[in-house]
Amino acid sequence: MADINPLLPVSSSDGSSNLTGQATCRRPIKVVVSIFFGLLTVGLFAALLIRNNGPVDYVDVHENERGSLASTAFEKAENLKPVSRGPAAGVSEKSNWAFGGDLPDYPWNNSMLSWQRTAFHFQPEKNWMNDPNGPLFYKGWYHFFYQYNPNAPVWGDIVWGHAVSKDLIHWLHLPLAMVADQWYDKNGVWTGSATILHDGKIVMLYTGSTTEGVQVQNLAYPADQNDPLLVHWVKYPRNPVLVPPPGIGPNDFRDPTTAWLTSEGKWRITIGSKINKTGIALVYDTKDFINYEMLDGLLHAVPGTGMWECVDFFPVSETENNGLETSINGHGIKHVVKASLDDDRHDYYAIGTYNDRNGTWIPDRPNIDVGIGLRYDYGIYYAAKTFYDQNKKRRVLWGWIGESDSEAADVKKGWASVQSIPRTILFDKKTGTHLLQWPVEEIDSLRLKSKEFNQVRIQAGSVVPLDIDSATQLDIIAEFKIDSDALDKATGSSDASFDCVTSGGAAERGALGPFGLLVLADERLSEQTPVYFYMTKGSDGNLKTFFCNDQSRSSKASDVDKHIYGSLVPVLRGENLSIRILVDHSIIESFGQGGRTVITSRVYPTKAIHGAAKVFLFNNATELNVTASLKTWQMNSAFIQPYPNL
Amino acid sequence: MNNTISLTLLHLAFCFTLVSFTPISALELHGTGANMVETTCQKTPFYNLCVSALKSDPRSSGADVAGLAQIGTDKLKAKATATLRQITALLKVAKDPKLKMALRDCADYYNAIVKYDIPVAVEAVTKGDPKFGVEGATDAANEAYACGRGFKNQPKFPIYASNKVVHDLSAVVASIVQLLL
Repeated sequence: MADINPLLPVSSSDGSSNLTGQATCRRPIKVVVSIFFGLLTVGLFAALLIRNNGPVDYVDVHENERGSLASTAFEKAENLKPVSRGPAAGVSEKSNWAFGGDLPDYPWNNSMLSWQRTAFHFQPEKNWMNDPNGPLFYKGWYHFFYQYNPNAPVWGDIVWGHAVSKDLIHWLHLPLAMVADQWYDKNGVWTGSATILHDGKIVMLYTGSTTEGVQVQNLAYPADQNDPLLVHWVKYPRNPVLVPPPGIGPNDFRDPTTAWLTSEGKWRITIGSKINKTGIALVYDTKDFINYEMLDGLLHAVPGTGMWECVDFFPVSETENNGLETSINGHGIKHVVKASLDDDRHDYYAIGTYNDRNGTWIPDRPNIDVGIGLRYDYGIYYAAKTFYDQNKKRRVLWGWIGESDSEAADVKKGWASVQSIPRTILFDKKTGTHLLQWPVEEIDSLRLKSKEFNQVRIQAGSVVPLDIDSATQLDIIAEFKIDSDALDKATGSSDASFDCVTSGGAAERGALGPFGLLVLADERLSEQTPVYFYMTKGSDGNLKTFFCNDQSRSSKASDVDKHIYGSLVPVLRGENLSIRILVDHSIIESFGQGGRTVITSRVYPTKAIHGAAKVFLFNNATELNVTASLKTWQMNSAFIQPYPNL
Repeated sequence: MNNTISLTLLHLAFCFTLVSFTPISALELHGTGANMVETTCQKTPFYNLCVSALKSDPRSSGADVAGLAQIGTDKLKAKATATLRQITALLKVAKDPKLKMALRDCADYYNAIVKYDIPVAVEAVTKGDPKFGVEGATDAANEAYACGRGFKNQPKFPIYASNKVVHDLSAVVASIVQLLL
């Protein structure tokens, strides 16, 4: 190593005695230069040392803008933190195990895991499922397609699964409808929708992820339109029919909708996308589903909502109690725009007015526009899609229900995800602001033994067990009457900030709530899932009602989601509070006020399973007595199985 | 004069040698490659780990966020696979039954990470549906977390360091993939 000591006098002993005079002049420069380079050397050396301080620095703490991940000190194993799934901005379904952080991880045994499988909700025999695809009714059968991984209980290798049913409840599995066998869908046969043409023929538009990972739209149709089971499908030989247009990213172009007719007689579809952080819906017109013209304008856009997945667009009648075919337009009709927001994994809808001439839509209430207002479901529910059921003249809604347990448990049990029970969807004439969802009537065919409870008085701060037999496959319809005197007497609070999600759940006692039902609860209430109302009174005297589902004590296991779901539910003067709950093992679907506010949750008890599961009424309010009347039914299995002898 | 020149030259030579061994970023004032890594890593919870992991791959200079996500998942895969091998090796020689049990649990978790979580993350990023990638990476972090908790009451946690890297790197990858949404 060279001499790095700048302070040593530079020797001029070798034959430079005759330069002494000159050396005196140069010495300051020599010293300056030496010092300069010496310091530079030292500085670089120091930089090198600091830079190479190990390949990894564990000690650094960086709380990102989401603020969801904590720092860790170097020493202790406990200081690893579980990580929030999904954005901290919204409530993630499978997130944050912080509630159960101090409990040991639950050793799931086969009895607990096998109990979780549902009896009457659609799910494939094993492995992973996600979005509903191309639902339709054709030649006497309801068809259901779905995103499916044939190889594992996690997302990947996605192809189209297929099943048929006569009644939307009893499903029969068919062979895979479409697999990833073309360059234009090699990386994924993704979500799409069916359109039934004038002559009754079916066309299917779906998104393919190409070998380059670009999202394109492809056309497919049944190989044999005379086969009522529509087993085999053919892809249009010159796919793709649509590629991302200029200005749209190759990964921001997916999930084409069912087409509807314009007043000019063309077919029109919309496809969700985004520009920066603005969620948008692109519009295309076509006559043959092969050639398209993109409209200059967008159907709609909402800033800050991010990518719009699984866009849906359909008419609802403001006056009639039936669904409308997708092309219907005119007086007394409103149109719904729905989007699944990639950023927070929730489905949002808004009601508004469609302008057919320029292919645009405006919300009735911009303050609750798409993505910033109402949700189909305040629990775990995504990628929903409707179809018009011409058989029974109704619009039917499908929704994907993922898991909120650990992925390791999914791997152990060999499957992940179910679909919601299909729901009819109607405009809520009474509020004019909401849609109503209700399980299709065919589900009533599963009802077995029933029990009725009339005028059960639930005092403030009490729990009432309901004597029904098995409580893991149930349909419950309950009505709650409240003393209007108690409501009048209750003092209004200026604390207008109640929210199911941030509340203390069913254990947080208020003057006018919570009260409702405890499902999947064991006798000792060591595990329980409350589904309930919570009323608040503002300082202006106005009552607000919230409908919530509390998972915080749903299971002793620490590796399941423990969040509280729910939202405001409009209650009109003179209405009693009503709840319908479908309990089917690890899924609970709850409908408040006839389906104005709906919450689906996945629950994984360790004790409240099989015969140990029970149902209770409860009232944890401090100033309110409640009277409940309800009817419960045991529900039969739907015996979902492969189509026999295919 | 000669001595001055030779001393100067020697110093200069030494400086340049140091420069060539010091990572470019320590000296670079401009340059988009390094800035993309830094700005991306600022949005993750473990900045230094993120930067060193990404930069150790030459592809990181000039990569966009999707490219950085892919590099991150590759690093994670390598580290998780190595940790799983570590666990398997330790299991062979471990005698204490409690230690064996904790290690076996960790082997299960790491099997899930290597067999499911990381492939899901890789597939989601390459095929263009990033939300599943966020899930996969978050799952991996949670599996590593669960593995660590199994050693809570153990006197020794032999794979502590590797497990922490897998956990933290998973969280980093999740944050990067999140940016693709």
